[in-house]
Amino acid sequence: MSRLTIRELGKFYADNAAVAGFDLDVAQGEFVSLLGPSGCGKTTTLRCVAGLEVPSSGRISFDTQDVTQLPPERRNIGMVFQSYALFPHMTVAENVGFGLEMRGLGRTAARTKVDAVIDMVQLGGLHGRHPRQLSGGQQQRVALARALVIEPALLLLDEPLANLDAKLRDEMRFFIRALQQRVGITTLYVTHDQAEAMIMSDRIVVMFAGRAHQIGSPQDIYFRPMTREVADFIGQSNLFAGRVIGREEGRFVVETTIGRMRCEARPGTAVGSRGHVMVRPEAIRLVPQADGRMGRITQRNFLGNVIDYRVTLPNGTVVSAQGIGGEAREADEEVGLLIDESKAWLLP
Amino acid sequence: MNKEAPGMPMRQWLFAMPALVLVTVFIAAPYLTIVLMSVRSPSNVQIYGPGFTLQNYLRIVTDPLYLGLLTDTLLYALVTAAVCLLLAYPTALHLARTKSRLRGLLFAAVLSPLLTGVVIRCFGWIVLLATQGLVNDGLRALGLGPVPFLYRPVGVIVALVHVFLPFMILPIMNAVEAIDPRLEEAARTLGASPATVFRRVIVPLSMPGVQSGVILVFVLAASAYVIPMLIGGGRVQTMATVIVQQLLGGFLWPFGAALALVLSAAVVLALVGFTFLTRRAMRRLA
Repeated sequence: MSRLTIRELGKFYADNAAVAGFDLDVAQGEFVSLLGPSGCGKTTTLRCVAGLEVPSSGRISFDTQDVTQLPPERRNIGMVFQSYALFPHMTVAENVGFGLEMRGLGRTAARTKVDAVIDMVQLGGLHGRHPRQLSGGQQQRVALARALVIEPALLLLDEPLANLDAKLRDEMRFFIRALQQRVGITTLYVTHDQAEAMIMSDRIVVMFAGRAHQIGSPQDIYFRPMTREVADFIGQSNLFAGRVIGREEGRFVVETTIGRMRCEARPGTAVGSRGHVMVRPEAIRLVPQADGRMGRITQRNFLGNVIDYRVTLPNGTVVSAQGIGGEAREADEEVGLLIDESKAWLLP
Repeated sequence: MNKEAPGMPMRQWLFAMPALVLVTVFIAAPYLTIVLMSVRSPSNVQIYGPGFTLQNYLRIVTDPLYLGLLTDTLLYALVTAAVCLLLAYPTALHLARTKSRLRGLLFAAVLSPLLTGVVIRCFGWIVLLATQGLVNDGLRALGLGPVPFLYRPVGVIVALVHVFLPFMILPIMNAVEAIDPRLEEAARTLGASPATVFRRVIVPLSMPGVQSGVILVFVLAASAYVIPMLIGGGRVQTMATVIVQQLLGGFLWPFGAALALVLSAAVVLALVGFTFLTRRAMRRLA
């Protein structure tokens, strides 16, 4: 278990930068996710940490040891791949024991550890099976066991749940998170699934085009995004262009396309600056009476637990709002919009 | 869907017919005639004489000349397969993993031995390997030569390796290409050096390719005729050259047929042994 420090990491190919100017500190035992769309450089970053890619610039350290130039086999990491990458010619026990064998551990000592970790991932009794005889979820757990049994300094996971079906994926999220907390291992997790990152992580790094746009807790990322890209990528959001016209009780007063709003903003935001006010759909309630903002429901999507509404305002602005399934409203109905301004946030 | 079932076997038979006819006419029938031929007695006026006899087989197993010939043939084939394997493996590994733009060209180079007719290729080797040839000129310059290649097994094996190399490279290349590069990466992250990854991951997983390559080259080399004939110049005898002598020179068709069947049987036995050995080796490697 160690701290991970990444400074000014860059990986450049002939004509483009996969990762540039990337800084990150992961505390001992922390679970950090790299989240972003495909091609944002999250996997490249992980592979640089693993030693499977050589960075073009920057430095990577585990605790105080600079590992930037070390090959993967000398970094003491455990890695889980999207395709699991289990050795097809070896049994479950041989797969899990491979890392211990590479470390020159004796047969009996290795077997004790292998048995313990196989029990930990709830695969007891499957020691002698080959990977092809296992289900996707079981293979996933063998891959986890193989990465954990060597007690690595760092656990690296590259989209490990992408190949599982939805129900199993939900289960495995909690399973991996619980396991990580029990073992207390420093973990770097790559995913393009925001819900996954939210559920599992202590902190999330949101990446676009090779750069980290924001590093923060799931709450920070969701309620206080630093850029429009982050706001767009994480959940749904309404963005209203506007200008800061003053301050009031610690909030910023913003004149927007749908009227005046009081919202929070990142520190240092100046009066007179322009930006967008972000309001999440669930912060907008549809009410019968007008409070000054009226609109007509132009679209209604039933999702089960919630209903998604598109409300068109008289000036043509379309607003997304969310209501709970019980209190359904009809399409074409005239409604009032009640915005919870404590959840409104000003983006640059 | 069960309504269709009763008609299915009949229709399946119909679909299998072309292949079945092909196999019967071109494989089973010729073998059958050879088997029948091999138990006939020789004749000076006809292809074979009246009646049936096991005399031909008796002669092969009792005369040390023919058993020695059989061992020589299998030995040459074995050495050819082994040398091919040694040369082919690194080539196949490179071809399977290279991202070079020259990949297509390299591929063509691998197949190039098959693009020339066997006789022309042999005369090429005769020119190269002759005592006054290019190879021996080079060896002389290094103070190592001249080495007599022609009319010796070593020259025959050089020419056999040359032409059968693609049959070893291609299956191994396919097998290596089928190995997920993530497996190598996974092994590295678990603490394996590149050499260990090669030994513990690449080699075992490429064994199916090695197996088919060795079988192909061994079978082809054991039954090669033109190369031992031309490069060996009559002084290197294999089962194939002797069989042709029996047929064309001695006009002993029944005896030639028996020799051919003994060679086939020996090759099949060798292959069974080989599969058995490699199966054990594969299990151990795993």
